[in-house]
Amino acid sequence: MLTLALESSAKAASAAVFEDEKMLAFSIQNAGLTHSRTLLPMAEDMLKNLGKAPADIGRVAVSRGPGSFTGLRIGMAEAKGLCWALEKPVVGVSTLEAMAWGGPVLDGQMLCCAMDARRGQVYNALFTVEGGKPVRLTQDRAISIGELESELIARQEPWILLGDGAELCFDTLDRSQVTVFLAPEPLRVQSARGVGLAAMGKEAVPAGELLPQYLRLSQAERERLAKLEKE
Amino acid sequence: MKILAVESSCDETAVAVVEDGRKILADEIFSQVALHEIYGGVVPEIAARSHLEVITLLADRALEKAGIGRKDIDAVACTYAPGLIGAVLVGVNFAKSAALALGVPLIPVHHIRGHIAANYLAFPELEPPFLCLAISGGNTMLVDVRGYTDMAVLGRTRDDAAGECFDKSARVLGLGYPGGKPIDDLSKRGDDRAYDLPRPWVNDGNPYDMSFSGLKTAVVNLAHHAQQTGQELDKPGLAASLCRAVSESLVGRTMAAAEQLGYDKVAVAGGVAANSRVRADFEAACRKAGKKLFVPPLRLCGDNGAMIGAQGYYEYLAGHTAGSDLNAYATMEL
Repeated sequence: MLTLALESSAKAASAAVFEDEKMLAFSIQNAGLTHSRTLLPMAEDMLKNLGKAPADIGRVAVSRGPGSFTGLRIGMAEAKGLCWALEKPVVGVSTLEAMAWGGPVLDGQMLCCAMDARRGQVYNALFTVEGGKPVRLTQDRAISIGELESELIARQEPWILLGDGAELCFDTLDRSQVTVFLAPEPLRVQSARGVGLAAMGKEAVPAGELLPQYLRLSQAERERLAKLEKE
Repeated sequence: MKILAVESSCDETAVAVVEDGRKILADEIFSQVALHEIYGGVVPEIAARSHLEVITLLADRALEKAGIGRKDIDAVACTYAPGLIGAVLVGVNFAKSAALALGVPLIPVHHIRGHIAANYLAFPELEPPFLCLAISGGNTMLVDVRGYTDMAVLGRTRDDAAGECFDKSARVLGLGYPGGKPIDDLSKRGDDRAYDLPRPWVNDGNPYDMSFSGLKTAVVNLAHHAQQTGQELDKPGLAASLCRAVSESLVGRTMAAAEQLGYDKVAVAGGVAANSRVRADFEAACRKAGKKLFVPPLRLCGDNGAMIGAQGYYEYLAGHTAGSDLNAYATMEL
């Protein structure tokens, strides 16, 4: 079965095509251009080059968050449009889990996936690798780098930092207390390769049931709740 | 030709099926008003989130209502500008992916052109050329509709849209959001000469340009002044005076433009076209000037998908289609 994977949660726009477990094509553009303009043509060209038509797609895999709210919605709206029209199911995968799958998945590695969530926080999840597959150690969450530091110190392992928040963590974490390595840049960024791999064996749902996981309310909602709390 | 049309530029998610630009087969709308009410206005991020959640459901319903299958869709049209960018992006990306998957043309539609085209759905006999005043919460412009896709903006608001003026005024009067309807309702019980509000005339340059920020500020100041001095505000009177001021500035310019261009057809489009004072004044003015007036029914005045399908048909005939690199834009010339 053909899977089209889409990733647009941060600066990179990326698409990949898988035939069952085998990756047939993979494309990534990390230039910070509008995903709304670049992502779908990328997927379209890739299918064309493979001699495939959109109708050949069996399912779509897409990163459902956390990440840039607008970026996520571009990828998810495209996934929904394709799947709705084709009447094919969609798999939403955690951006952080996809990041782990796109990283150096060698047994025994400890992976710390991080995205810059601004406001002093990172979107983060921790994984270890067993049998060539990332295994979750934590849920996806938005936490301060200080909290993340305490947790990494407590776990006493050397960590590989992945994601667009990797450098931020590397620069901020107290490296006299915690051992961290920056993954090479091409392995660090979010990619559709990771999304496609993370989607393997996961349940696909009808397009209408695909929901994003922003991990954060809109600013208006946050401010309103803070105001209500004060009163 | 059956067009599936998607609209998501503000706080309404809408999907419609329109045949040959004139016949509505389905027009499904999900209004987010309840989501934004507590904030007193549309919150762009909340709007965009909601569009993404409901869009496939609306598309399903539109096909069901139209009694057609996906294979019957001949093209997909969508609003691509102007609007709240995060909101428009959802509809554009959904629509272009659906068009790609279905293997049918993708038609980008300017939101205001869509509002104008709502008149084609309501009035089968209406054809360009005509003059159209497009008035909504985000836009106010006077358009020379020379052809279905050949338009020239004669004048526009230099600051706030007419609808924005109603929304802000309603907020300070404690009438809730959106403000158009409650102000309209309240105005019916009031004296339209109770308050001497400034007429938003623009005296320099283009005589068809408008301004509504001064009027808005005048209402806000009156409300604050009353609050500070403990005076009782004649709210129905203020609402009626406001409607009169807005209407006079719109109707006068529109009729003058129609006269100058020699048009005997005048159309009004957009959410503010639902205002009963504006409607009544246009009816009177057109009767007096011997011109035919077109104002769509209320349901087609607000944002909807059918109007995008209607304009989409004429854009398609003009060869205005796009590829999968179509982007969304917050602003765009008509």
